[in-house]
Amino acid sequence: MTVLDLPSARQEAWRWSDMEALRAAAASPQAPAGINPADLFLDIDGPRLCFVDGVFEPAHSRPGPVEVTRQIAATDHPLGSLAIGEGWALHLGAEHAATCIQIVHLGTGGENHVPARILLADDAVATLVETFAGTGWANRLTAIALGKGARLMRSVRLVQTGGFVSIRDEAEIGEAASLVSIFLGAGGMGSRIDGALTLTGKGAFAEMGGALLTSGTQRQEAAVAVRHEQIEGTSRQIWRAVAADQSVASLAARVEVARGAQQTDGEQSLRGLLLQRTATVNLKPELEIFADDVKCAHGATVGELDRNALFYLQSRGIGEAQAKALLTHAFVTDALARIGEEPVREAFAADAAAWLEAAL
Amino acid sequence: MLNIQNLHAEVDGKEILKGLSLSLNAGEVHAIMGPNGAGKSTLGYVLGGRNGYAATSGSVTFDGQDLLELEPHERAAAGLFLGFQYPVEIPGVSNVQFLREAANAQRRNRGEAQLSGAEFLKLARAQAAALGMDAEMLKRPVNVGFSGGEKKRNEMVQMGILNPKLAILDETDSGLDIDALKAVGEGINRIMRAPDKAVLLITHYQRLLDYVQPDFVHVLAGGRIVRSGGPELALELEREGYGALAA
Repeated sequence: MTVLDLPSARQEAWRWSDMEALRAAAASPQAPAGINPADLFLDIDGPRLCFVDGVFEPAHSRPGPVEVTRQIAATDHPLGSLAIGEGWALHLGAEHAATCIQIVHLGTGGENHVPARILLADDAVATLVETFAGTGWANRLTAIALGKGARLMRSVRLVQTGGFVSIRDEAEIGEAASLVSIFLGAGGMGSRIDGALTLTGKGAFAEMGGALLTSGTQRQEAAVAVRHEQIEGTSRQIWRAVAADQSVASLAARVEVARGAQQTDGEQSLRGLLLQRTATVNLKPELEIFADDVKCAHGATVGELDRNALFYLQSRGIGEAQAKALLTHAFVTDALARIGEEPVREAFAADAAAWLEAAL
Repeated sequence: MLNIQNLHAEVDGKEILKGLSLSLNAGEVHAIMGPNGAGKSTLGYVLGGRNGYAATSGSVTFDGQDLLELEPHERAAAGLFLGFQYPVEIPGVSNVQFLREAANAQRRNRGEAQLSGAEFLKLARAQAAALGMDAEMLKRPVNVGFSGGEKKRNEMVQMGILNPKLAILDETDSGLDIDALKAVGEGINRIMRAPDKAVLLITHYQRLLDYVQPDFVHVLAGGRIVRSGGPELALELEREGYGALAA
């Protein structure tokens, strides 16, 4: 791709996006990453797929039920629509289960695009962990469709040292099905995590949230819209942003409740923490409600570390840097606590802790 | 053990302590009493090293060290414990994690061996039991959702685990019902009544002193000690009020 037709900051949905960082990452030359992809997998049993610069690497993979296949993007999303070509697909039949699937995306420079599709039939269950490492621009489109009672738990960590990661999720969640997607941005890259989740069945559950940690002049953002189309749906968007130095972390979360989607229970919690006053956190909570019997809790706050808490920890013998790390980690923990599998949750917590140690 | 000489201190550019002098020896319990606004809490924070509570002149030595030179966590490692009037709630950090980090950070600072998870838990459970605090509360986030009494018991559990040489307890009796007051008073006696330890109780009322007998009582007013005496002074204050004595 030689000319990138990217959204501009004049468009409301892209006003905080760092398309310059994306362009620079796309134009970056490829260079050996010095990372063995095998080291990026967590030590848990399950199917594994490795993509290096968007190309499937059989040597580091044992895909199990996951197929590697070419796909055409069925979206008009400006970045997601670029994710065409070789990708992966997980199709599970009714009552089938596939857990602890790991997908590693390693970039060495330049741009790479991988489409993905997850289709779970009624009562199927899958858990998935994705890791982005290396550098360059990694662009992903993931289409998700969950049948009645199906459950998908997905954890995604962005730990590229530089470059840019853009993720577009488009999900349809059927009756009594559950989708939980948790993201951690704890690398040096720029990012745009973009989601459109639609609760198409009665009593569906959708959650998309996580933590973005930024430092230096880095910019990361999440922009998620959840649409309730049927009754008795529940959605959670719990995001935490921690910004140091001159960095910018932005969170935009939207809940739409369609006419007739009664007894919707929506929760939005957007919280930002500034480690220095030169940093920026942008928050944009949005609610659009066309039903009258609806509960939508929402909160958006930005602040600094609580000085009282900091002194309290110090007075018990904990040094200032460690006290700050402890409080910041606690701030982030909320958003990562939703990850169901303990080893995955611990690995994500360790990534966050490593980031804090470097930033504080 | 603690020697404060002619201490002046400011908060937000306003002088609060105006030449306070006080000496505590090992084995002694001192009570500082005084009206609201006398500078009692400021004294605690200056000794603890809180940001914004700056000593402008005078000296404080603790076991021969210049206390004012030390960072707050170094003061803790040196054996100073500050009990808070309003213990802080810290969501997302469990009591166990907090106290183990604190105990081990102090040990590191003193060049001592670290406590293992099991050793720490044993110590924490024993201290919680001694204070009548449910061991389950050790797993909960620090002070979150604790009642006033539970927070103060938690302060005493922390003091028991950290085992300081000198405890400065700021209004530890405020907000306590009679049972909690008794438990906290017994905790202070059990943990701190020893020939090599000392306690500075900062309090507005005499009632805690029914449980923890002070050896010396001082009246703090207008930023300095205006009168010192034995335990009988506390009773006199309770009877006559601060007005007459501080004048």
